[in-house]
Amino acid sequence: MGTVTRRHLTDLPSTPGLLSALLLAVFLAALSFGLPALDRAVSAQRAVRAGEPYRVGAGVVVVPPAGATLDVTGTRPGEDRGTALFRLGPVRYAITVQPFSGDLTQAAVRLRQRITGTAGYQVTGTQLAVSTAGGLAGLQGGYTAGDRGGRYAVFVAHGLTIEVTVSGADLDLGRTLPAIDTSTKTLRYEGS
Amino acid sequence: MSELASESVNEPVRPGTTRPIALTRLPAFWVVLVLLAAGAVRMSQILAKFLQTYPIATITALGLFGLLAVPFWFFVQELDFLEREPAALLVVAFAWGGLVATSVSIPGSTALENLIAKLGSPGLAAEWGAALAGPTVEEIAKTLGVVAIVVIARSQVNSVLDGVVYGSLVGLGFQIVEDIVFAIGAVALAGQGDDVRPVVTTFLVRGFLAGVWSHTLFGALAGAGIGYLVVSVDRSWWRRIAMAALALFGAWASHVLWNSPLFRDGLGNGAVALLAVLVFKGLPPLLLILYLVRRAHDREAEYYVARLAGLDDPEVITEGEMRALGSGSRRAAARRHAADQAGNKARATVRRLQRAQARLAVELSRAPEHAEQHHCEVREHRATLKALGHPEAVEGAHSWRHTASSIGTAAVAIAVLWVALSALGGA
Repeated sequence: MGTVTRRHLTDLPSTPGLLSALLLAVFLAALSFGLPALDRAVSAQRAVRAGEPYRVGAGVVVVPPAGATLDVTGTRPGEDRGTALFRLGPVRYAITVQPFSGDLTQAAVRLRQRITGTAGYQVTGTQLAVSTAGGLAGLQGGYTAGDRGGRYAVFVAHGLTIEVTVSGADLDLGRTLPAIDTSTKTLRYEGS
Repeated sequence: MSELASESVNEPVRPGTTRPIALTRLPAFWVVLVLLAAGAVRMSQILAKFLQTYPIATITALGLFGLLAVPFWFFVQELDFLEREPAALLVVAFAWGGLVATSVSIPGSTALENLIAKLGSPGLAAEWGAALAGPTVEEIAKTLGVVAIVVIARSQVNSVLDGVVYGSLVGLGFQIVEDIVFAIGAVALAGQGDDVRPVVTTFLVRGFLAGVWSHTLFGALAGAGIGYLVVSVDRSWWRRIAMAALALFGAWASHVLWNSPLFRDGLGNGAVALLAVLVFKGLPPLLLILYLVRRAHDREAEYYVARLAGLDDPEVITEGEMRALGSGSRRAAARRHAADQAGNKARATVRRLQRAQARLAVELSRAPEHAEQHHCEVREHRATLKALGHPEAVEGAHSWRHTASSIGTAAVAIAVLWVALSALGGA
């Protein structure tokens, strides 16, 4: 039968050293600063094949803009949802697909509230109707955050919401938006 | 005299001697305090952002998850009934989990998941990123909290159960803060503004359905390993390190299993399928860890009850009381029996007697020459019990009414939870 005896008392040094505590801090620093530093040291950009459809997730595909790279840190394909993050230089082009039971207006309200829920972000201008080459109907608008501008678009189809957000400095956006718009128009649902 | 001196040389550490005033004299304590302060600053920044954007949802989350901590805290306190840990150290453990481990895990887990995507693929990260990155960083950060307790107050970790207590409180602190962050994340994702419904859904899912087999449990297992490492001085260092590593691995593996995509689609999407997945992925680690915690508790209880048995004094403790004192459920049964027999005053007196007996047992193990005060305390409560006509703090006959009441309460709680989840669309 097991017992805790006085011999079970600790045999560690009786005066815990400052060194042990500093070692503890080093371990924590390795986790909170070392891992992110290692992450930054490894490139996140992957080339995508020009003109070929890319599977975002949940059966939704898109043809990325020419010259775009895939940022794997913001890309998570899945069976019932997914995200893809493309970069055109400093411009960020993100597509998020997730299950949704509401209509297009509700989806647009939800996306706008998420955008304005981020400190410093404001929706600008009016919302316009858009459609893709495959017939998906959507709404698009713009937003600003300090010296950065942005564009959003949202589509609803097959029990999914497809949200597109584009952000970058105004000058870069002006240069890349035509290619991104062309890419957005290629969004389509192929089925899982 | 020489025997006492020899014993003192062999066992220089006496449990429970570290007081806050002594802690402040240790440089290591100040390092831990700086780490806690840094964690507090980081988490306060996040909380301020939440409060600014979603004030009502954030306050609701703080209230609900704060309340959730209460039953867990009481469970851990009951586990810690015999040899109480100092409140200041329990607070340090809880704060480590809620402030340090969380603020380290947020950037660490994100970075590790990114590395999985970069070195593997985005698909691998989507399937297994959360399952591997979170547990790896979080379990290490939490276990370091128990190590911090050992560093600043080694003499307070004098059984495997003490490691369990500190580990589970680190886990509890982590769990509560993580749940609040997840709840506000759900509010942001819902895109309905400052809405409390995602908070309530998160509370029901993460607090009740997933809360039982979460960080408190994983922390308890990892803490047991540290406890073993510290107290098992009759074992080789290699064995002690290996056991601590095994316990940490067990906590990590339980966490990975819980986060994993396994069985996600195999059982369908219905409510029963959800329950089956919860039980299948959560129940095996829960049962295993509860078994180990029970063993650690019983081993400690046997030791302290044996100290009282050595007195051979029925005025201090009877045979029946020794049996009751060694188990949380039997202690509670003895209190219920006292209430049935002699009213609520007897229930309170039995609790005080049990506490006094526990304090006496601990003092006998540390400094028998100073135990007289506790002897008097026990005798005083014994006299009160006798005056109330209930002289012995023992369990009564098994009550089927109590068992039926417990089962009924659990069934009603599950039914209410299920209805609430279904109403909120969570199921």
